[in-house]
Amino acid sequence: MALESTGKISSRLEVLRQRFLERAKEDIQQLRTLAEKTRRGEFSADGLLFCYQSLHRLSGSAGTFGLPELGEAAKALEKQLKVQAEELGALDDTVAHPVDIPAGFADGIDALAELVEVKSQAVEQAGSYTEEPATYKGSQGMQVSVLLVEKGDERLAMLEKEMAPYGFSFTSVNCDDAGALGNALAEVRGAAAILCRESALSDVMSLRNTSFEQSSRRRLPVICLGSDNSFHNRYRVAEAGAFAFFPDPVDIPELAERIESLAIERSANVQGRVLIVEDDAELAEHYCLVLQAAGIEAQAVSEPLHLMSNLADFEPDIVLMDVQIGEYSGVTLARLIRFEPRWLSLPIIYLSSEDDPENQLEALSKGADEFLMKPVSDSYLVRSVRIRCYRARQLSELMNRDSLTGLLKHSLIKEEVEKELARCRRSGERSCVVMLDLDHFKTVNDTWGHSQGDIVIRTLANLLRNRLRETDMIGRYGGEEFLVVLPECDVSSATELIRGIGESFSALFFVAGESSYQVTLSAGIAAINDFTNGEDALNAADQALYERKRGGRKGVTVYSSK
Amino acid sequence: MENEQQVLPRTILYVEDDPDIRAVAEIALVDVGGFTTAICESGAEAVERAPGFEPELILLDVMMPGMDGPTTMQALRKIDGLEAVPVIFMTARLQRSEIEEYRDLGAIGVIPKPFDPMTLSEQIAQILTDAAESNFR
Repeated sequence: MALESTGKISSRLEVLRQRFLERAKEDIQQLRTLAEKTRRGEFSADGLLFCYQSLHRLSGSAGTFGLPELGEAAKALEKQLKVQAEELGALDDTVAHPVDIPAGFADGIDALAELVEVKSQAVEQAGSYTEEPATYKGSQGMQVSVLLVEKGDERLAMLEKEMAPYGFSFTSVNCDDAGALGNALAEVRGAAAILCRESALSDVMSLRNTSFEQSSRRRLPVICLGSDNSFHNRYRVAEAGAFAFFPDPVDIPELAERIESLAIERSANVQGRVLIVEDDAELAEHYCLVLQAAGIEAQAVSEPLHLMSNLADFEPDIVLMDVQIGEYSGVTLARLIRFEPRWLSLPIIYLSSEDDPENQLEALSKGADEFLMKPVSDSYLVRSVRIRCYRARQLSELMNRDSLTGLLKHSLIKEEVEKELARCRRSGERSCVVMLDLDHFKTVNDTWGHSQGDIVIRTLANLLRNRLRETDMIGRYGGEEFLVVLPECDVSSATELIRGIGESFSALFFVAGESSYQVTLSAGIAAINDFTNGEDALNAADQALYERKRGGRKGVTVYSSK
Repeated sequence: MENEQQVLPRTILYVEDDPDIRAVAEIALVDVGGFTTAICESGAEAVERAPGFEPELILLDVMMPGMDGPTTMQALRKIDGLEAVPVIFMTARLQRSEIEEYRDLGAIGVIPKPFDPMTLSEQIAQILTDAAESNFR
């Protein structure tokens, strides 16, 4: 859709951003003058209305110009004035009307000034516009970037050379140059990890922590390399906060795999889904906004009557539950949720100002998993929700995977077909669904035994995983039947791809005792876009597979409606 | 569902009182999105320019001095040919009750502020697609 090059657009946006920064500084200066009056008790109704409008403008615009923190802070202050401003707005004569300014308001305004100062410095250093939500690049087909922090040690440069064949993109900075590291951290937003030698670890940790302190983004994991592999040294490294430790000589393939898996973990676009059960609408809205700003999908429920249907519609990873929702007890609601088997493993976390351990225990025994104490700061909320969503997803990953192959289970891969169809409708992309089946599998089992059969199935699963893109979805559909969804892949590419995999597979020799055997596979392909629902697309692929089987097996048949 | 491109409007009438936001939205709509736009700084200006411009979509800031977004929408709706043009509101104070309120007024969707200039037109396309889908069902 872009008519102009992105570079040109971002330089124009940068000009606007600078202009906005200038104006925001002036606005905030005015706000400070007024806020100073509140400290002396000289604040007027007009002043309050002015502040309210000015804050509203900041909260709606700062994020667009790449200053989301400023926008959020302004929004919080705007909220403090909201009720009074609306009352005053309804009056004809506001001059004599007394105003009551919340404690800490003036400090809040001062904090805005700091935010805008810090921001304009950061902009001057980095000189780029990008403040869009961080997108982490995943594994296959995409380059994973890694930040190397050096401190006069050549071993890191050597390592960079050795790691080169793995296709990572390295950015090197010197540890003693704090500015450069700061810039690198800001620029390599999509990086998977920071790599450093032990000698630089403490500097790296403190720089990383300060640079990520302000934001709700995830901290980059630090991987430390060192020569001393003793328990005490590794303990020290762990204590400093490193994510992993690799002793010399560094096991390069192992390191590459670790970075790869970090990249995959970070590349998940949606970081979680949270259902918030809270009767204070303002607060619930605030939580939602804070979480959404951090890329977490959040939905609030204020009426427990609809809780179960909301759960079913939204399918959250976790639930945040207020202890008391109107006349309903959160404890009882948690128990009620667990009545339904599908929510037995859903983590429920209490939002509570309940700091009496006895009462907490009581709630825990009734089905809540953990407590978050109110008031909870925005960044703490984001971090704790994110980690809990991540754990919940890991767990459900375990439950949703076929134990033999590690592929998606039947119902889940079917769901993926529906999702892909919906995606295709939105994007207009062309995607395919493939049904794969091992030929004469029963003979394999009968001749060589079931354990051999399992090996064959697992081998095909591995082959599919290695040959398909990360964005492709693979599931075990039935005994020896596999279902693959290939997004953004037309029928002819899909045919070629699957034919190649089939040829590789049939070339494999399976060894059983003294003898060996080979297995072929048949596949049916259908273009998802040709169908109105996923079920039909699946049936078409299945029918194509059936035709392939009747036509002599071993190979690929594409569904045609004739 | 037909191809998304056919659902997309070519002309957008955009009303926003903040000059900085107007400037960034112009880039977002014209240069990134490829739309033809009439960009107005007030509801009054929009009412004046709309008949000659014949917008296929109207994008309104909610909180504006003078005529606010909803008032502007009502005024525009009275103009011949604009009775059924889809309207999207843009607002910083996004509460569920508010979204409902705008929907009841006849808006097809709400875009939260702050918006991201690089994806604003995608957001618009998404709202239009969603609205079209819910009509067909």
